[in-house]
Amino acid sequence: MRSGNFKQNVGELIALTDSKSVATWSCLLMVALIGAPMVLDAHLLGLVTVILFTLVGALGLNILMGYTGLVSLGHVGFLVLGAYGYAVTVGIHGLHPLLGFLMAGIVPAIAGVIVGAPSLRLKGIYLAITTMAFAFIINTAILEADFITNGSSGIFLPRPTMFGISFKSDAAFYWLCLFFAVAALAVTLNIRRSRIGRAFMAIRDNDIAAQSMGINLIAYKLLAFVMSAFMTGIAGALFGVYLSFVTVEGFTFHLTIEALAILVVGGLGSALGVVLGTILIVLLPEITGVLLSLTGDAAQEVMATKAFEVRNILYGVIIIGFLRFDPTGLVGIWKDVQRTWVNWPLKY
Amino acid sequence: MNYLIQLTATGIAIGAIYGLIAMAFALVYKSTGLINFAQGEVAMMVAYLTWAFAGQFGSGLIGVAVFTIVAGMVLGLVIERLLIRPMMGEPIFSIVLVTIGLAVILRSLVLLIWDASPHPMGIEAASELIRIGNLNMRAGQVFVIGLMGALLVASWAFFRYSRYGIAMRAVADDDRTALLMGVNTARVQAVAWAASSTIAGMAGVCFAALYDISPDIYSIGLKAFPAAILGGLDAVLGSAFGGIIVGLIENMTGGYMSSTIKEISGFVLIVGVLMIRPSGLFGQREIERV
Repeated sequence: MRSGNFKQNVGELIALTDSKSVATWSCLLMVALIGAPMVLDAHLLGLVTVILFTLVGALGLNILMGYTGLVSLGHVGFLVLGAYGYAVTVGIHGLHPLLGFLMAGIVPAIAGVIVGAPSLRLKGIYLAITTMAFAFIINTAILEADFITNGSSGIFLPRPTMFGISFKSDAAFYWLCLFFAVAALAVTLNIRRSRIGRAFMAIRDNDIAAQSMGINLIAYKLLAFVMSAFMTGIAGALFGVYLSFVTVEGFTFHLTIEALAILVVGGLGSALGVVLGTILIVLLPEITGVLLSLTGDAAQEVMATKAFEVRNILYGVIIIGFLRFDPTGLVGIWKDVQRTWVNWPLKY
Repeated sequence: MNYLIQLTATGIAIGAIYGLIAMAFALVYKSTGLINFAQGEVAMMVAYLTWAFAGQFGSGLIGVAVFTIVAGMVLGLVIERLLIRPMMGEPIFSIVLVTIGLAVILRSLVLLIWDASPHPMGIEAASELIRIGNLNMRAGQVFVIGLMGALLVASWAFFRYSRYGIAMRAVADDDRTALLMGVNTARVQAVAWAASSTIAGMAGVCFAALYDISPDIYSIGLKAFPAAILGGLDAVLGSAFGGIIVGLIENMTGGYMSSTIKEISGFVLIVGVLMIRPSGLFGQREIERV
């Protein structure tokens, strides 16, 4: 008789999930997400679309910060490069959108090698500052290279048509974003259980120890930057298509802070955490809107005129609050709830 | 030639402001090992508080100066007490993220309380022209260079002779041993935060007096990063020197090249410095034990 839940081979050990119910629920969620455009109204569908492409970018940052432990404050740089990679290919030269998405990944990935190079010497705060510097340099470079990028006047982007399918309607664009989000999630989850992911996490936990175990620090740190930049770039392209207009001003430094907030709120290094964090952060303005509508007129007036500032303050408060009171983030809370649910009424 | 001298003089003046903020970075880094990403925002907040004070009670120079120092100290102590001290023992990265959160909050608070448009600071004395030879300088620019000189001497003396300065160096060297030797590390950190916010606040007020007050002032914090890194993050005096160099480089690229390149010249400089000499010109090399 089995006396516990034993793993008998490596395959079982690294399987994505060993629980039938998790697999069933994931499939059900997938079906629900595919069917969502039939049910949701335009506003809600727009929100879910934003969540989906934000998720792609946040998962990209998670590979770098959550798995490999390299801090980047310059991810908005990759985002803007991805958007321009797509916009220049499709918006200016009128090439196939698929090529556009490919360029949206490759251009930031190349930049990732350049930005990643200092990471081989620098750690922690120094790396954060270097990446931040790169984000500003990239912005200026795009503005200066106006013969390629139209400079400060920006590029208009129509919704793409691929393989005879038009992504003009909101529902179709939603499915496109869903496809990329699921792909990004699959990549993130599968990296984690591969040799590459284990190498990343070894570098995060102690890079000198990792090196002495035979992990090539240079190769893996650069790989982390490249993969992260690639995914973030795709998110940038989707963001650009969503906005239908790409300029440098559309990608403020604020997006980096939003991405950081997602990771911190969700729980660093966990794909589920990133999903939960993305949902919370994207819906934050909606949530505060609802909360404030319950209060008096004065608060609503502040919300109407200074909505952006109120939202930013909330980002700050939420980042600090989670770091201070629950560093494991939403995923930690979720695990606690699960444990309580299973063991109730016993403590453990 | 005259143009070059003029650029140099104004470069040193703006560099002195960056230098002050860089000193503030270095003070916090030296005593707590973390970078306060909200340094520029603290400077902006103090500048706005001072502006509100000057609007209310008149802009007498002594009153403004005293208020700036008090506001800076109080703000620094409050931040240290509410946000930084409870995080003691957490990884440095988490505390740095807290300061990023603080930066966002302060930036939005300024916009929420005041507005986004620039206002004159109302200190006329700062913009009076002074002629030195062929050189036109504003009184505020001369003042800020003098202020940085004075603070350089003061902080040198502080670290060399005062009990707190010596305690701070001890904490920077090894906080656990310092604690065992009876140094109150928590109080040393509080003093460092108060001092750093005061210095940053002075820089913010000087900047606002010279170039009007607006919610973009926080960007002097970003500009001071290169200065602090160039000088060495743990070298308070070196950072001030780094500030002057960054100010000069910015003004030269702005004067002879283009204004977009001026904006990023500091960042290009950091990337270069970090690649070649990560500890900066005057910083101590970090040696990690395995």
